[in-house]
Amino acid sequence: MSLEEEYTFVRHSAALSRMEHVQCVRIEGEDATEAVDAICSGDLWVRDGRMRQTLILDERGQPIADVYVCPDDDACILLFEGMTASELFEYIDRYADPELEIRPVDLRPTHELISLHGPYAWEVLSRWLTPDIIGLPYLSFYYFDHGICFRAGKTGEYGYDLLVHREHAGDAWQDLLGLVSAVRGGEVSLETLDLCALENGFFSVRHGSVDGLTPLELQLQWRVSARKRFPGIEAIEERRAEGVRRRLTHFVARDGVRAGDEVCSADGPVGRVGSAMLSPGVGGIVGTALLDISVAHPGIDAFFASYSDTKRPIRTISSPALFNRSLLVDPHRHTYETRDRSMDPPLWQGALP
Amino acid sequence: MTELSDYIASREAVLDRVRRLLRETMKLRLEPEAIDPDAPLFGTGLGMDSVDAVELVVQLVEMFGLRLGDSLFVSSKMRTVNTIVDAIMELGDEP
Repeated sequence: MSLEEEYTFVRHSAALSRMEHVQCVRIEGEDATEAVDAICSGDLWVRDGRMRQTLILDERGQPIADVYVCPDDDACILLFEGMTASELFEYIDRYADPELEIRPVDLRPTHELISLHGPYAWEVLSRWLTPDIIGLPYLSFYYFDHGICFRAGKTGEYGYDLLVHREHAGDAWQDLLGLVSAVRGGEVSLETLDLCALENGFFSVRHGSVDGLTPLELQLQWRVSARKRFPGIEAIEERRAEGVRRRLTHFVARDGVRAGDEVCSADGPVGRVGSAMLSPGVGGIVGTALLDISVAHPGIDAFFASYSDTKRPIRTISSPALFNRSLLVDPHRHTYETRDRSMDPPLWQGALP
Repeated sequence: MTELSDYIASREAVLDRVRRLLRETMKLRLEPEAIDPDAPLFGTGLGMDSVDAVELVVQLVEMFGLRLGDSLFVSSKMRTVNTIVDAIMELGDEP
């Protein structure tokens, strides 16, 4: 399957993927929430059944894990990227109060994580699981017979992560693949999901360098608590006191831009490209660049990405880059078959430089 | 560079006003500069709900004369701080 075909599944119908890069653990015990709160950068005030996006930072304030925290009675389920389960458990041992009563459980040996994405992902899931799934709010979860369904996703489309007991995972995959195929969707790779995440401005701890960067430069301050202490907070406070000098900014280009290229204005260098991928939706490159804070704004056509003797014009943009189909699809009114093709504006509504 | 400098100065002025508006409308306990321009408005980003959104739309009309128009337009512009700033800049309604 080509990336373009996979991309069409995510952006126009429904896509299925095995989320082998995501770790799943359950922290049990009466102090589970306190232990998780001690290691995460964000405020975790969220009621049972809801999820919260947060980060785990190193002592330089640099993100090392991108985390969903899901409080669940006397436990917390964590879905995360960037570190292994054993690394997380070591991190808890190092930074949480050793007196806390917790029992960390790695769910990966007993469960598989399968994800659905796309403007009609809800339709697939409502047929496989229950029509009630339509009412599941974004960033919440609920248990079903063979696992847990999380309403999440990092593509800008409807997204669901299914944590399925391993003995049922094979059947679940086959059933879901059949239903996805019925809406002209299919299986997609991590590369396609990473592209979609980049287009919609989702942070990826695996994609693009975060070396030396804190949530202040990465535009992730909304994942940082202003009320508590956590590992990495001293570095963030120090950076804030010094003044933030750079900020991650999204851009588009026609072609030829690569991660690591220098970004220049007519007066000289202003930053560096962090990530760049060819986007079928945009018809060119989408990417992120770390720009000098004085020019880190969308809507600028005056820069170019430079490598060796080549110079490619870029245009800074506001994220998300796309007008996602899922914004137009109402599960109470539409289905894939009865979709209103008159409401089909272009995914990308801007201009390339 | 004058044109670029003018654009950036204009954009920063609008950004600052939108950040302050969000801070007041949503009662955020954050300094304006701690509101990231690309932070999602809804979900666990800035935590906006539908009631906040209605209030914000009313305030945008009052403060900037911004007419958000049909629901499709609202859907595309009410996503991040920067997309709101884009709408204000595009319509040239900065007072």
